[in-house]
Amino acid sequence: MLIDLSHIQRLYRSDEVETTALLDIHLGIEAGEFVAIMGPSGCGKSTLLNILGTIDRPTSGSYSFGGQELTELGEAALAAFRRENLGYVFQSFNLIDELTIEENIELALIYRRMPKAERRHRVAHAMDHVGIAHRARHYPSQLSGGQQQRAAIARAIVGEPRLILADEPTGNLDTENGAQVMDILQRLNDEGATIVMVTHSPSHADLAKRRVDMLDGQVVISVRNAI
Amino acid sequence: MLTTILRGALRQARRHPVYVGLDLLGLALGIGVFLSLALLVRYESSFNAGLPGVERLVRVDEHWTLAGIAPMEEADISFLALPFLRQDFPEIEDAARLLPSAFRTEQGGAFTKFDGYETDPSFFRVFGIALSRGVVDDALSRPDGLVLSEAAAMKAFGTRDILGRRVELNKAGVRSVHVVTGVMAPIHGPNLLARAEMIVPIPGEEARTRSCFLYWGSACGAIVLRLRTPEDIGAMRARLRDFVIRHASGADDDRVAIGPHPEKIYEMRLVPLRRLNFYDVGVVDSDDGVDRNVVNAIGLIGFLALVLACANTVNLATARAGLRAREVAVRKTLGATRRVLFVQFMGEALVVTAVAGIVGLVLCEILTPEIASLTGEGVTVSYGFVLAVLPVVVVVAGLASGFHPATILSGYRPAAVLAAARMPSGGRGAARLRNALVAGQFAIAIAIVICTLVIDRQTAFMRDADRGYSKSGLLIGQQVLGGDLEQERRMLDTLRAVPGVSAVGFGELEPAPHAMSRSDYKYAGPNGQVSIQMLFDRVGPGYFEVYRPRLLAGRWFDPERGQDEGPDADDLLKSKGSFNVVVNVKATTTLGFATPRQAIGQVLTADGLRARIIGVMDDMRFVSPREEVAPEIIFFDTLARVPFVDPIPAVRFQGVARAEMARRLDRAWASVRPELASNFQPADERMAELFVGDERRGHIFTVGAVVALLIACMGLYSLAAFSAIRRVHEIGIRKTLGASGGQITILLLRDFLRPVALACVLACPVAWVVMRGWLSGFEQRVPLSPLHFLVAVAAALLIAALTVLGQTVRVARAEPARALRAQ
Repeated sequence: MLIDLSHIQRLYRSDEVETTALLDIHLGIEAGEFVAIMGPSGCGKSTLLNILGTIDRPTSGSYSFGGQELTELGEAALAAFRRENLGYVFQSFNLIDELTIEENIELALIYRRMPKAERRHRVAHAMDHVGIAHRARHYPSQLSGGQQQRAAIARAIVGEPRLILADEPTGNLDTENGAQVMDILQRLNDEGATIVMVTHSPSHADLAKRRVDMLDGQVVISVRNAI
Repeated sequence: MLTTILRGALRQARRHPVYVGLDLLGLALGIGVFLSLALLVRYESSFNAGLPGVERLVRVDEHWTLAGIAPMEEADISFLALPFLRQDFPEIEDAARLLPSAFRTEQGGAFTKFDGYETDPSFFRVFGIALSRGVVDDALSRPDGLVLSEAAAMKAFGTRDILGRRVELNKAGVRSVHVVTGVMAPIHGPNLLARAEMIVPIPGEEARTRSCFLYWGSACGAIVLRLRTPEDIGAMRARLRDFVIRHASGADDDRVAIGPHPEKIYEMRLVPLRRLNFYDVGVVDSDDGVDRNVVNAIGLIGFLALVLACANTVNLATARAGLRAREVAVRKTLGATRRVLFVQFMGEALVVTAVAGIVGLVLCEILTPEIASLTGEGVTVSYGFVLAVLPVVVVVAGLASGFHPATILSGYRPAAVLAAARMPSGGRGAARLRNALVAGQFAIAIAIVICTLVIDRQTAFMRDADRGYSKSGLLIGQQVLGGDLEQERRMLDTLRAVPGVSAVGFGELEPAPHAMSRSDYKYAGPNGQVSIQMLFDRVGPGYFEVYRPRLLAGRWFDPERGQDEGPDADDLLKSKGSFNVVVNVKATTTLGFATPRQAIGQVLTADGLRARIIGVMDDMRFVSPREEVAPEIIFFDTLARVPFVDPIPAVRFQGVARAEMARRLDRAWASVRPELASNFQPADERMAELFVGDERRGHIFTVGAVVALLIACMGLYSLAAFSAIRRVHEIGIRKTLGASGGQITILLLRDFLRPVALACVLACPVAWVVMRGWLSGFEQRVPLSPLHFLVAVAAALLIAALTVLGQTVRVARAEPARALRAQ
């Protein structure tokens, strides 16, 4: 088991209100799986993805990744964990406006202190993989939404992570670009990548190997898709 | 419209109190410093402006071009010139001679000092000074007349109604009884008479006997002329050379005249009194002049403080423009034109600047007395000036700081703004402008800091520099006037017997000398005859032990050797006899000797007087660090048969506190010369008089450096705070990609400090050029060390880093998931 979530709970507290985002989540994901998480807005999908990505901490519960308990790690160790193991794809792409596409993709490797020559090589390879090599020197604002999302996928895969997290990767794209992005994700999964994707689109969820439905902070259904 | 503007400004202040507060404080500080320094510049530039008809007043200076020494201008001039000037120049309406004097009143053995002048009855007419008590034309018409300033009247009598009172004055030990014939009304603004407390007529005896009344080559006071029209200055100047040839020429042996061709070495110059303050830098025997460049620099600092504050406002306003983009978009959607919005934002900027102007006025009230105390100048807040300048400053600063942001804000396109998820940042161009402004601000601040460090180092150096003699434990006394050999011996013996005194000696020159005399000496060397002007000094036994000069070659005088005895008055008058002398190393280099040793045994001549060099000592600096040390010739007086001419006693002491030593010496002095104030002063205090003006004005640079750094840091802080918020989302992305808090902190610090680093690169060459120019005005100066630059740069980077560190760490520690949600 690559990922093992057990009794995961996430509460948000403001001055007067306490909101439960996740309630007693149990979820296991094997290496090589492609899991789609679905559910209505506010059901906790993105919170679950953030916890899987260690950019948010559960209020209680256990999160084991490849046998390592992550809830006990400090900030620096979690940053190192993300560097080595995770790749992110966001709905709003989250590319840095001030950096070129090439620099945005390279960023994931800079924090690993990888030698420059190797970084260049990997960035070129990742850009080829998603078909945006010709836009390497452009800034994000000069690209279409589909191109920006492909750049974001290149950034997610350039470090060859053990897990790719995708938060509504097609949410801001038209049908054609959305289909292209799903193609890429499927191809990556076929090549061995483990992917967890949050989506509102049933058709895109059907392209994953497993579908997890959530409601009110809980996992209600977890079924394997017949592919 | 006005209501909309005021409401808009108020709403901004309520929504963003920190930014608006910092913006306002920076502007207020800039305006306050600008007003205070403008007052100081106005004060320095208004010297003598309060004298009625000042445009017709001139001082007559003399300018000498003598062999072996740098050309020099003296404010003092021979009084012999005045009757001839009156006779030859009908342009002269009136004239007065001013002989600076220190008067003392005595009470129970204690002296109270009053500065003042001995002068002509025309004094008050020439300067246009009114008397609050007494009659201008009569006040100095009687030989025992005495006029006091109102302040002096209060100091001496506690009242201004003192006409007819009898006052016994002691001038250098000579007592005379005077009757108060007038009280001077105060003169408005800074002027050359500001320190004059007592005015008395020139005593007839003095005019008959003192050399400056009798010889062209001797000077002891100034001549001030009131001309009929301002144009007469030029007309007179054109004829002064002929005047000199006509009246100051004479045969070589004519002691009254300057020589057969006085015009070759001597020139008379007219200096308008209005320009005196700036002109007197480097003029010998003048009051402290003020370096115009320094005053200009002070004005520039004030102006730069205002520019820095305006740059802050521009920077913050453009950075924050995005926050108001939606407001602009909605207003435009509802029908507002670009012009209306521009006027609104300009109006808001003017409202903020106006409020800052009021706070700046309060700061000016607080700062000006501090600046007056730092500089020792009598500058005060003149509301006529400030209230005339302030509205202009507010409008100019408001327009300067509001124009660019108002242009950006009013130019937003509503469709693009309303459609965008994030607030517009203004793009890379706006970011570059903001960085350029921060770089400019810090460049100015760093340049001022470097200048401050160099000025501080130079003033410390002026205090501590090697002067060629041992400074500590050295007290200098009052001239022992009278020329009474027996009394001079008794004075030396009495002072030597005071417990704690280790040596006592007489010399005719002292640190910061009151009078200097020079003579022309010739040396027939292997390369022909060399002629140089040399400063004359005569010293007695004990002098070497008191000053401890460094002997570089030969020997010092020996009282036991008869041939070391120097000339008497007759020898000097007739230029005859052979004597042993010691010279300073400056004399040997001017004469062309390669080493001090080569000068030993050589003979200098002045007409029939032969001076054989027996010793060469290192230069002893008695003059200002700005001046060159002159070649000096020293004769010896054993006090066996020849009295000194008004010698100055110097005392070396040890094992006793300085104040106690001075008290003991005062008591001992009074037992020999009870009528003469002893006035023992540390040598360092005497020397400090020569550069205290430089030192005090240097403090302004410290104020400027602190204010400039403060404003620049306010700008950087606000910008960093704002940028940090804008970059939270980016930080979230980076952290998601695995960046650690430390990496983010370094990234942000590097970005925030990049303009500061650029500022360092810009500031250093400018400061180097400016300070090289300033230091070149000093003969004795510190080298322009890279250390000053490194310290300033390191300090600026450190201060800037500390300014943004809080913001940086706060953003770097943000939870990535929360950061990603920020837009």
